[in-house]
Amino acid sequence: MNQGSNPLPEGVETLGRIGLIAGLVGLALLGAGYATDREQLFRSYLTGYMWMLGLAAGALGVMLLHHVTRGAWGVVIRRILEAAASPLTLGFAAVAFLPIALGTHSLYEWTHAEVVAGDAILSHKKPWLNEPAFLGRSAAYLVLWIVLAAVFARLSARQDETGDRRIALSMQRWGAFGVVAFILSMTFAAFDWMMSLTPHWFSTIYGLYVIIGQAVAAMALVALAGLLLGEGPSPALPLQPRHLHDHGKLLFAFVCVWAYFGYSQFIIIWSGNLPEETTFYTSRLNGAWKVTTIVLVLLHYALPFALLLSRNRKRSAKALAPVAVLLLFARWLDLHWLVAPAFSANAFTLHWLDLAAPLALGGIWLRLFTLGLKARPLLPANEPFLKEALAHE
Amino acid sequence: MSIRFDDVRGADPIAQPPVLAPGHTPASVTERISEAVTTKLTKTPKWWLGGFAVGFALLNVFLFAVTNLFMTGIGVWGNNIPVGWGWDIICFVWWIGIGHAGTLISAILLLLRQSWRNSINRFAEAMTVFAVACAGMYPILHLGRPWLPHWLLPLPGTLGMWPNFRSPLIWDVFAVSTYATISIVFWYVGMLPDLATLRDHAKARLARFAYGMAALGWRNSSRHWANYEVASLLLAGLSTPLVLSVHSIVSFDFSVGIVPGWHTTVFPPYFVAGAVFAGFAMVLTLVLPLRPLFKLHDFITERHLQNMAKVMLTTGLIVAYGYVLEIWAAFYSGNEFEIFMVLNRFTGPYATQYWLLILLNIAIPQLLWLKGIRSNVWALWAISMCINVGMWLERFVIIVVSLHRDYVPSNWAMYSGTKFDVMTFVGTMGLFLTLLLLFIRFLPALNMFEMRILTPEATKAHGEEK
Repeated sequence: MNQGSNPLPEGVETLGRIGLIAGLVGLALLGAGYATDREQLFRSYLTGYMWMLGLAAGALGVMLLHHVTRGAWGVVIRRILEAAASPLTLGFAAVAFLPIALGTHSLYEWTHAEVVAGDAILSHKKPWLNEPAFLGRSAAYLVLWIVLAAVFARLSARQDETGDRRIALSMQRWGAFGVVAFILSMTFAAFDWMMSLTPHWFSTIYGLYVIIGQAVAAMALVALAGLLLGEGPSPALPLQPRHLHDHGKLLFAFVCVWAYFGYSQFIIIWSGNLPEETTFYTSRLNGAWKVTTIVLVLLHYALPFALLLSRNRKRSAKALAPVAVLLLFARWLDLHWLVAPAFSANAFTLHWLDLAAPLALGGIWLRLFTLGLKARPLLPANEPFLKEALAHE
Repeated sequence: MSIRFDDVRGADPIAQPPVLAPGHTPASVTERISEAVTTKLTKTPKWWLGGFAVGFALLNVFLFAVTNLFMTGIGVWGNNIPVGWGWDIICFVWWIGIGHAGTLISAILLLLRQSWRNSINRFAEAMTVFAVACAGMYPILHLGRPWLPHWLLPLPGTLGMWPNFRSPLIWDVFAVSTYATISIVFWYVGMLPDLATLRDHAKARLARFAYGMAALGWRNSSRHWANYEVASLLLAGLSTPLVLSVHSIVSFDFSVGIVPGWHTTVFPPYFVAGAVFAGFAMVLTLVLPLRPLFKLHDFITERHLQNMAKVMLTTGLIVAYGYVLEIWAAFYSGNEFEIFMVLNRFTGPYATQYWLLILLNIAIPQLLWLKGIRSNVWALWAISMCINVGMWLERFVIIVVSLHRDYVPSNWAMYSGTKFDVMTFVGTMGLFLTLLLLFIRFLPALNMFEMRILTPEATKAHGEEK
């Protein structure tokens, strides 16, 4: 049995370089955007930021899920998840949040004192929606995620060094706490950073909808990393079709749950037909954004659903990769669909900065991800269940 | 997807109790499980007769309550304006929710390859079927003209009258009837190999005949097994969305309306989690006493109790998430009716029920974080009883407390169930108990062939095959 002692493929380094270059190019473009169209820059940046965060925080969520359930599917991809959600990548997410913190006035209507003063509902929301509280909460979310990632990075390193079997138990316990903390914090992060773009509107499922989207992103990332690391005659990661099948099934399940949450929100608001809630859908189902909505449903649900039904596709990294790429694009589209109509309800918008932001943030994240992959052996050698997880069933 | 912990047992810190006590062979498993069924009728255990007497007596209470309802009308219940939905829908949702544990165990845990489900799935599926039967009573009883239940279905008739397809109540008809059908088929198909075993083991001719007919000619051929495996995988695939859809649609019964306390978008997942929460509580409520009565400690081990407790804790936390968001969103929305709804729950005339709900459903189940509690049968049973009551109160709070004070204070009124509400509910418990006891007496309550797979002999044979 191959215990994963093979070196990383050269593709990892190449990919890291591509990421860095893309990131630098993207940053330059964002700089140009700052000089030319500041308002648009912040909008595009928020979408790009949430997309990049989906990769990092989504991986954190999936990693916590793996530790708390001790699912065998997660052992082989643990290092991929740890590299995607490391203190480094989440630390970068914290730094990358600064432009949003600086751009609150461009992004959030409720930061304008004169608007709030003239609006009874917004005045009512002031104890929650005010800048110090918003920044304080944002810092708390980011610190929490970095701490969680650091705890697991440290436990994982200790496990590698000492081989202490009790560490697996500590990871499970931290996983249980972490899942609770993560879901609560990401819910409110989604409320704060995205839902409050239209501060009158609210939906209690919104946080779960964003979280499950991040889980889709993380599993799509795992599928692509599987192609990079698990293929060829001497793969760096001994991935069996059975492992890919499990990851594909999880991806399929997350895609379905995403549709379930989205549809639940839609049917409840549509049936209730209350003016304070329907604004979200009137701008997205009529006129300018209607096509985007249809395309989103097709690309984020109908098409991947149909493709992922196939057993053979789930069992092959090569066949799964195009679906993963599709879903990573659909993730961006979903976030664009959530963010952009808040600023332009009656006209479809797609700015070149909308593409520059994910390029910049995703590129740098990719560089940090490849650094994480290189930092440690790809298989947790002292994980008590490694042998069983690797065994072909 | 599960990990077998068998090779790391012993003094290992991460070891877990086995899913099947050591020392069993396929034959001993069959022997022990079929024993409960093949015992002569005259040797039926006394506790069974006692339990059946209670169940049957309560079933007669149901008969009495329903007869009175049919003769007099729905006025015998406490429903009135503004609380037009009372115990009937509370109990409907309560029963439907209980069924969900069975489907989760039989379908989702099968897809997740959780082998610990093997000993409890049959029982939980039976519980699902009986709970759905109890739930199904309520919508029909509440019709007012219960002899016309087919009007619920979109049947082309001379009246030219169709149900309102935009109403979640008609979605409920489809969801619940689909759920009942699939649950029965899944349960029955899963039982075929065991029915054949019973046919081969039964001593009485009548029993041989009955089990033989029910086994549909199962001959244990590899062809049968191949078909069986495909069928159970397909049924599991069909049932999995049903776990979500049924209770999501039940939640739509409320959430698509615009009543504060009902209309919130997190309802579907939060109701589904609540259903699984209640269902696992009910499985534990029933399994914990049955374990000593049938001496099933080898098959339902500490591992099962631990895992079921963890599922309860998880789903309970999702329910708590729903409560938190409801309260947060009410204040965040700035909508005075939403805020009033929350304050009315906190401090209104039904505040006792609300805080009791929080205590039973949220506070007490947090004890399940402790491993000592999860492996203590008495504590587990007590917590599961708390959850059974708590989940009933949850529906009471959602339904009654939201309705009794609506937008216009002159409409406000208090609500309480009548003795016929109570009798109907207690009566459905009688129906449930009667069916359940008949099931554990005449059908294999544990899955024999799936338990045989867990014996070391079978595991070894499986390994050599590769």
